Amino acid sequence: MLESLTGGYITGGTVGITLVLIGLYGLMTKTDLVKQVIAINVISTGVVLYFTNLGYVEGGEAPLISSTVMVDPLPATLMLTTLVIDVAITSFALALIMRIEEDAS
Amino acid sequence: MIPFIVALPLLLALLTALMNAFDVGSRVRRLLFMAGVLSPWPVFLLNVEYMPVSTIVGGWQRISGIEVVLNDYNYYFILGELIVFSLVGLYALGYYNEREKSGGVAVKYILPLILLLHGGILGALVSSDLFNFYVYMEIASLSSIILVSCSPERGAKRAAYRYLMLYLLSSFFFVFAIGILYAKTGYLNLYLIRENLVMSVEVQAAVAIAMASLLVKAGIFPLHFWLPEAHAKADSPVSALLSGVVVKVPMYGAILFLVYLPMEFMADALLVVAFASMFFGIYMAVLQDNAKKLLAYHTVSQMGFVLLGVAALDIDAAIFYAFAHTLFKSGLFLGVGALARSHHTQHLSELSYRDNKILMVAVILLSLAIGGIAPFIGAFCKYQLLGCLTGFQIYLFYLAGVGTLVSFIKLNYKLSRPGKKAAAPSRLEKVATMALALLTLVFGVYFYPRLKYLDGILILTAVAVFVALRYLDVFSRDAPLLFPADGFGREINLYTGVFVLINVLFLVQLFY
Repeated sequence: MLESLTGGYITGGTVGITLVLIGLYGLMTKTDLVKQVIAINVISTGVVLYFTNLGYVEGGEAPLISSTVMVDPLPATLMLTTLVIDVAITSFALALIMRIEEDAS
Repeated sequence: MIPFIVALPLLLALLTALMNAFDVGSRVRRLLFMAGVLSPWPVFLLNVEYMPVSTIVGGWQRISGIEVVLNDYNYYFILGELIVFSLVGLYALGYYNEREKSGGVAVKYILPLILLLHGGILGALVSSDLFNFYVYMEIASLSSIILVSCSPERGAKRAAYRYLMLYLLSSFFFVFAIGILYAKTGYLNLYLIRENLVMSVEVQAAVAIAMASLLVKAGIFPLHFWLPEAHAKADSPVSALLSGVVVKVPMYGAILFLVYLPMEFMADALLVVAFASMFFGIYMAVLQDNAKKLLAYHTVSQMGFVLLGVAALDIDAAIFYAFAHTLFKSGLFLGVGALARSHHTQHLSELSYRDNKILMVAVILLSLAIGGIAPFIGAFCKYQLLGCLTGFQIYLFYLAGVGTLVSFIKLNYKLSRPGKKAAAPSRLEKVATMALALLTLVFGVYFYPRLKYLDGILILTAVAVFVALRYLDVFSRDAPLLFPADGFGREINLYTGVFVLINVLFLVQLFY
């Protein structure tokens, strides 16, 4: 939909790559550890958006037996795995930051 | 049958973790742990006869299922993994038994994580599907990061955090590269990707980005930042697994790329990175006086040797060097780690193997093996790598070999002087270290049963260089520190910058 609204210039893929670049900017400039974890999360969102967009087919529907033009479900399924890994890792990273602060004080 | 090689350790990891909820004795827990460590052996041995084998999990067709394989490319990786895990498992029982008395994170949390690491690594090594490879590599790395953070050493948490951030960053870039390949070919199965590959700039860009992120995970200079601290601060059995096995998984990924995708356009860039890594690792190792950090910097250097095989497009050389490094580096970490635990320090000047003849022999044998002296396994790999080099690269290669020997002469010289009085290491620790030392000799004789007079010259040169450097007082200098202790946040900023820079440099290769 984004593609048709913007005349094909802005797609899910380009938005994803932009998010990755924003996250990289955060990771390269912020010294606060929590902000770094957030920056990593922005990168991950960008990658997920880029990857999910790969399965998009113009006018496609949900891939059920009855539909004729279908979107590719595989990228979305794969990104589900990545998201799960992400959640676990973010919580671990935040716990680790707490322990680093405890050690420092 | 092959999926069981992954399923059994994962299942026993779950069972071992579940045992924590019940009030079972440590004997049951240890038994389950060792069962988990050894469980892939029968599956592996049963399948080896029929090599190369490939199975689609769940009996699907190749285009819709996940393929697992056992073939010439991963045979030595899996063999090395199983040998090292079996011996480190034994060692860990002895090591943690002693450490439990002195407190720290309870062993009952550590053993399931080691099994999870085992399953994750094996899963990555058997998979022939890019996304599956990524997921298992993630399981393996996350469990190793948690294991690093469990260490009672000062600064272990920071090392774990640094490891985690760089690992995540490179993982996302790797997934991004997989996405490009999927968009261009429509498959994730490597065999099908090769069948459907149409060469284009996008595919090359994907290979370049994926290689850059694999280099981070393999700890190659200049993307090695996380490695020395993480490997040095972890508990010794964990260090042995990290340095011996975990860094080989991304290297296996690089070999998969070399087999199935075009890599020729990157060969020159990788060659430069490989040599840089070899020499940087040696330079930093020579200046270290922390024994485990010295070994960790040698991992940076030795992974450069493995990458040299990849850069020279010689798959065999890379596979055998990785196998050899798995054996001798984990052995060295076990030996030095046993000394460090019994002396309660990692400082080289306070450690000594004088009172411990078995560890002494083992460390000397392993040092010869890593130095590439015939008839140890290092020599076989060295001559294989030399076969694919030309011109001045050969001289650089010999120079790196002498550098490695100098560093290990220093290690053995320091360890052979009388140190602090210490308790004796446990029997399991000694047995596991000695077994790995003997295996480097056995495999060396099996592959390459020859003696070379050149090795004698190399050793003599190395001794001369060592004496000269000692005379010049090089060893008492401190290794250069990049950051003060309070600049921790800025470290990550810099490392991200370097990673982006390397990505850009690799991408520039496309236009030559």
